Amino acid sequence: MIGLALKMLFGDTAKYVMLVAGLFFATFLIVQQASVFCGLMLWTTATLRNVAAPIFVVEERVEQINETNPMRDTDVDRVRSVSSVRWAMPLYSGIQRVRLSDGSFKTVQLVGIDAASLAGAPGRMVEGRLEDLRLPNTVVIDQLATTRLASNPKDPSTKIKIGDRFEINDVEARVVGICEAMRSFTGGPYVWTTYERALQYTPPSRKMLSAVIAAPVKGMSVEQAAADIERTTELRAYVNHNFGKDTKDFNTSTVWWYIRNTGIPISFGTTVVIGFIVGVAIACQTFYSFVLDNLKHLGALKAMGMSNVRLSMMLLFQAFTIGIIGFGLGLLATSGFAMGALKNGQPPFFMPWQIPVFAFVAVQLICMLAALLGIIRLSLYEPAMVFRA
Amino acid sequence: MIFISKLVRYGSIAAAIVGFYAIFMISRTQAERQLPTSSDPPIIPPQKPYVEAVAATGILEALSENVAIGMPSPGLVSSILVKVNDLVKKDQPLLTLDNRDLLAEQLSTRAQHEIARAQIAVSEAQLAKLNSQLSRLGAVADSRAVSLDDLENRKQDVAISQAQLISAKAQLAATESSLKRIDLLIDRLTVRAPRDGSIIQVDVRSGEYAANTPKNPAMILGDIDKLQVRADIDEQNASRIRPGQAAHGYLKGDPTVTFPLEFIRVEPYVIPKTSLTGSSTERVDTRVLQVIYSLTRPSDPPLYVGQQVDVFIEAPDHHPKP
Repeated sequence: MIGLALKMLFGDTAKYVMLVAGLFFATFLIVQQASVFCGLMLWTTATLRNVAAPIFVVEERVEQINETNPMRDTDVDRVRSVSSVRWAMPLYSGIQRVRLSDGSFKTVQLVGIDAASLAGAPGRMVEGRLEDLRLPNTVVIDQLATTRLASNPKDPSTKIKIGDRFEINDVEARVVGICEAMRSFTGGPYVWTTYERALQYTPPSRKMLSAVIAAPVKGMSVEQAAADIERTTELRAYVNHNFGKDTKDFNTSTVWWYIRNTGIPISFGTTVVIGFIVGVAIACQTFYSFVLDNLKHLGALKAMGMSNVRLSMMLLFQAFTIGIIGFGLGLLATSGFAMGALKNGQPPFFMPWQIPVFAFVAVQLICMLAALLGIIRLSLYEPAMVFRA
Repeated sequence: MIFISKLVRYGSIAAAIVGFYAIFMISRTQAERQLPTSSDPPIIPPQKPYVEAVAATGILEALSENVAIGMPSPGLVSSILVKVNDLVKKDQPLLTLDNRDLLAEQLSTRAQHEIARAQIAVSEAQLAKLNSQLSRLGAVADSRAVSLDDLENRKQDVAISQAQLISAKAQLAATESSLKRIDLLIDRLTVRAPRDGSIIQVDVRSGEYAANTPKNPAMILGDIDKLQVRADIDEQNASRIRPGQAAHGYLKGDPTVTFPLEFIRVEPYVIPKTSLTGSSTERVDTRVLQVIYSLTRPSDPPLYVGQQVDVFIEAPDHHPKP
C-alpha cells in the first residue's frame, strides 16, 4: 500500500514539484525569519555575553543592558559590602565615537573594566595579551573592529593590527589585543579598556558607573546573591544566564524590553505567519487537485473494497512524505543562508532547537490540513461513480 | 521525460536528507561559536576576610598625616636643600626663596645706619661747640660785657643741640631695628622642617615660582616608617561602623598583598567624597565617613604613600534577613 501511495504521489511530477515548493517556501520563511529574529534579539544582549559576569547590578529602574542609568562610584563598595558577594567590580559600557587616521568617524561599544582583576574581560583572545590593557592608552578590540575601523574595510592589508592607533573622543587609543566578541545590536564593534581610562575617553557627566558586576560567594546560588544585593542596596541585581522565563535574568529582561518597545517582533512575526499561510494555500490547493486527479484510481480502490480508513491512511502518508521532503529542502536553503550569515557575522542568525521543531510541526500541520481536505472529498466519493463515467 | 521525473523525485529526496544534515551541522557550529559563559576574572579579586564586611576604598598616608609644606610668601625658589626620601630634623632648612629684594633693602638700610651714626657725631660735635661757647660766655666775670639775651640764646642752643643728639641716637636705633627686621625677613624666606620626618614629595625646583596654594604643595613631609590607611565608607554603610572593628587591607592592583589593619579612630566629620579614581571631573553628591587604620610596612613588597587600598571592615549586617 505504501508503494502504491508513493507511486501515486510521484506519478505527476508537476504537481509533486508544486507541493514540495509550497512547503519548501513555508519552511524556509518560518525557520529563516524566526532565526534572524532570534539572532537580532541575541544581539541586543551582546554586552551580557561579552562581559561574562554572573550578576549585573544596575540602577533600580534599569530594564535592559543597552540603556543603563549611571550610578555613583561608591556603589561598587556598597555591593561589595553585601555578605553574599564574593567580588564586585565597576563596569562602564557605552557607545562612543572613534576617529580613524583618515578622519572618518565610526561608533564603537566601549567597555571599561576593572584594571586590577580584569573582571569583565573578553572570554577568548585571538591575538595579544589581556594584561597589556594596563599599559597607558591601550584598548583591546574585537575581530569586527579590525575591519570596521580599517581605512578601507575591503582591503585586508589595511586591517587594524596590534600596535595601531586611533582616537576615541580625541584621546589616543593603542590596540594591544584582538578578541572574539558577539556583535552588538547597534552594529558597533566592542572595544575594551580599563574603567579609569573609559572615563577619560568619555565626555564627563555627573555619574559614570554603568553597572557593577559581581559574583556570589562559594556555595550560594546566583539568584540568592542577587536577591541579597537588591535587599541591602536597593539597586537592581540581575543574573546573567540565558534568555528564559526568569524575569530576574538580564537577558530575558533585555529581550522583552525590545519586544515590547520596538516593531521588530511584529515585522518578523508577520513574515512567519505569511510563510505559514502561503504554505497552507499552496499545499492545500495542490494536494486537493492532486486528490481530484487521482480520484478515479482512489475510487477504483474503494470499489475494490478498500476501506475509507485505509485510503485515508494512504493520503495521510502521502502528505507526511511531502511534508518531510519540503521541510528538508527548506532546511537546506536555511542552512545555505545560515552558512553565509555565520561566516560574515551578518545578518544576525541564531537558531535555537525549538525553531526547526516548531517549523516541523507547522509544516506537518499544513500537510495534515491538506490531507484532510482530500479525505473529505474522497469519503464523499461513491465507488459506483468510477463505472458511471 | 521519465528521466527528468526520476531526477526530480530522487533529487528532491536526497536534497531533503542533505538539508536535515546541514541544519544539524549549522546548529553545531553555532554552539561552538557561543562565547564561554560567566567565569572568574583572569585575576581572582581579593577574597573577603570576613563573612559580614563593609567594603571601602582607602588611601595610604604617612602615620602622622602628611604635611604639605607651606611657603611664607609666594616667590622664586633659589635653592632646594633636600631631596626626596631625605630624613630631616625639626627646623632643618628645606628650601630658600629668592631674597635679593630684601638684601637690597638691607644695603640701603645699612647706609642709613652709617648716616645715622655720622649724624650722632655731627650732633655731638655741635653740642660740644655750643657747650664751649656757653661756658666761655659764662666764664666772663663782668656781667655787663655779656647781654642776658645772648647768654639765654646760647643756653637754648645747647638744649636744642642736646635734643638733636637724642634724636640722632633714636635714628640710629631705628635703623638698627630696621636691619634686624630685614634679617628676620630674610631668615623667613628659608623654609624649615616643622618637625622630624622624611621628604615624600618635592614638586618644585630651584628657579620655579612657589605659590602658597594648599592644593599643590611644593613639598610633602611625612613619617613613612609607619603608614595609615584612610578608608572612605559610603554614608549608607556608615551606620554599620563601630570603633575598634577589625579590618584587612588589599593593595589595589595586587590582591595577593594583604595586611591586617589596626584601628586608630573614626573621623567625626563626614565629608563629601573626594575622587580617588582618577577622574578629576567627577561630581559627587555622596558623603563618606572616614576611618583611620594604622599598619606597619610589610618588608616586601614595598608600600608607598598615596597608593589605593581596598579595605574590608568586619561589621555585622543590620539588614533584616528575609
